[in-house]
Amino acid sequence: MVLEQLKKAGIDLVASLPDQWLGDLIAQCEADPAVTHIRLAREDDGIGICAGAWLGGRKSALVCQNSGVLGSVNALGGIAFHHQIPLLVIAAHRGHYDDSQYYQMYKGRICEPVLEAMGLPYWVIDGPEGLPMIADAARQAYLNRLPVVLLLRRRALVGRK
Amino acid sequence: MKRLALAKLVKERLRADDLVVCGLGATEAAFKEAAPVNPTYYASDPMGLWPSIALGLALAQRERRVTLLAGDGDLLMNLQVLATIATAPAPNFRIVVFHNGAYSSTGGQPLTGKPAFAAIARGTGFERAAEARGEAETARALDELFAGPGPALLDVWLEDEPCPPAPPGPWSQVEERTLFMRALQGLSRGSRSG
Repeated sequence: MVLEQLKKAGIDLVASLPDQWLGDLIAQCEADPAVTHIRLAREDDGIGICAGAWLGGRKSALVCQNSGVLGSVNALGGIAFHHQIPLLVIAAHRGHYDDSQYYQMYKGRICEPVLEAMGLPYWVIDGPEGLPMIADAARQAYLNRLPVVLLLRRRALVGRK
Repeated sequence: MKRLALAKLVKERLRADDLVVCGLGATEAAFKEAAPVNPTYYASDPMGLWPSIALGLALAQRERRVTLLAGDGDLLMNLQVLATIATAPAPNFRIVVFHNGAYSSTGGQPLTGKPAFAAIARGTGFERAAEARGEAETARALDELFAGPGPALLDVWLEDEPCPPAPPGPWSQVEERTLFMRALQGLSRGSRSG
């Protein structure tokens, strides 16, 4: 499960904004006494929280939909290339073959090209078997002093539901 | 009241191991002129991100007081962050708003609307949010701000003064960030305060 992998990476602070696919993960973050869970009203505040936490020596992650990645482009760009602060984004990768809602589709089309254009490292996780990549991606972020974005498909987040 | 007077009032109330996050433009110019001795992270860009950066720092450094010096335009850009701060477990986090009603460092254009930040903060769930005008009232309000727990906000109304753009300093933002983190590391054997 995602939270287990986050903990393996030393992450114990999670800032989140809900998505239908993220319900289980957010509930687990909220229920876990070893995790500080911060509720956001807008995703780029999560970029700020993660960046500030790293300044103070604490590892953290932003959990949101991929639309939150799109909405955080300026925040991510400034934190990546002006401040060079690492952080991890766990985003529900809406709008691909595994999504049944038409209004999600544009997000699937533009999220990866936008990340390419920004020059930020990102990886797509197809299913639960790929979740160990979370700790690797976090290490990549810290070594690079850059945010790393993980885009998780439906099967990686909600299993058989 | 002028912004330098507010910066000095804040500086006088800070302990040596307090951490400060300082907004950009006129707020930064004022606090630098007041010459604080605390580890201070100067925001630079992205504008609008500093309340959340300061909250993250407070969540990481829970045994130290973290104070955000927020420009009014900076805070107005991302007002919803107040709802997140209000509900965060951050008794060590306080915000002082430098409220001059203008975007000073871009030429003094008026701020959009007339935000009453203390009322907005209370409306998002802050239990402690106040406003102050003039030195005597502000000095008392700052004492109260630091006497009680966070998250807490003090909105201080200031005169609008011009703020010519500052030339770049000797350090890049990444170097500033490294110096701040080194200063914080240097505090780690010193006294701590809640």
